[in-house]
Amino acid sequence: MSENVVSGESIIIRTVVGMLYPFMLLLGFYVIINGHYTPGGGFQGGSVLATLFVARYVVFPVDDTDSERLHTIQRVFLMLILVIPTALLFTGVVTRYPALRGPYLTLMDLLIGVQVGFGLGVAVLRFAFFQGVGKTWHL
Amino acid sequence: MIEVGTLILMGVFAALAIHSSLIRLSVIYLAVFSLLAAFLYVLFAAPELAIAEAVIGSGLVTLLYLAALKRGHVYTIGVVTQDDRVPDSYVDRIERSSAIRVIRDFFIRREFETQIVFITVPTEQALVDPAYDLVLAEVGDDLVVYTDEESYVMVELELVFQLHDSMSQIKFIRYSPEAVL
Repeated sequence: MSENVVSGESIIIRTVVGMLYPFMLLLGFYVIINGHYTPGGGFQGGSVLATLFVARYVVFPVDDTDSERLHTIQRVFLMLILVIPTALLFTGVVTRYPALRGPYLTLMDLLIGVQVGFGLGVAVLRFAFFQGVGKTWHL
Repeated sequence: MIEVGTLILMGVFAALAIHSSLIRLSVIYLAVFSLLAAFLYVLFAAPELAIAEAVIGSGLVTLLYLAALKRGHVYTIGVVTQDDRVPDSYVDRIERSSAIRVIRDFFIRREFETQIVFITVPTEQALVDPAYDLVLAEVGDDLVVYTDEESYVMVELELVFQLHDSMSQIKFIRYSPEAVL
């Protein structure tokens, strides 16, 4: 049966995306947290996290996400990314205790990952639900 | 060796994406192109880039293109079926019919995308539904095309059909949604 409707609500897509959803979340955080030792890192894991928003949009294309709040979270993480390295590097904590280098890099990866995930997700959602200038876009 | 094969495949998919007539197909070819690029990055020992390319190139960007396409000029052709069910043979026959081919070519030349939706509602209900830009119905042996009165694109389409002599069994009926109501 060829159904040419672009609704994205077919039961196959719903079931498969529902099954893959937790694994995508897991893969995103795995890539972020192990980014220091294995391929991956903040940006790559963050983009995997952003596909969670995309998957939700594909299954359920309804604009009920509060993208303003997501944007605020993203800005808070962006500020943390700027503040934490500045504070740690200028106080010399990381250079004085070499054992802290691993946890420090993992923490930074985590911050970058969440920031990129929310940022890309909000960008995609706003693009998909864009209604015209002045309605959803006040940056 | 496998690198060369991947590169050749990438070239093939790039050419397919450029030369395919349907934009939606081009987007899918681009996604495959991105996936091959990610594989190539793995072969060239750049797994970090491969992850980023796979996720962004074939995930996010594909969806962005599809979302952009959805809000662009997509002409929806509603085909009204007489029955409650739509058998595959009927779908095949309609999609291969010369009328649909002419309509598709017409819109491709104007860089519009067409999609065909098979609907089981009565014709009057399909006419007032704003989701369909063009309604096709089979009445006996004739194919009847219902077009909006105010759409100038449809006037051109009617002219194209008149130029084709073989399309004489196709009738055009122009309507205004208010009159149907």
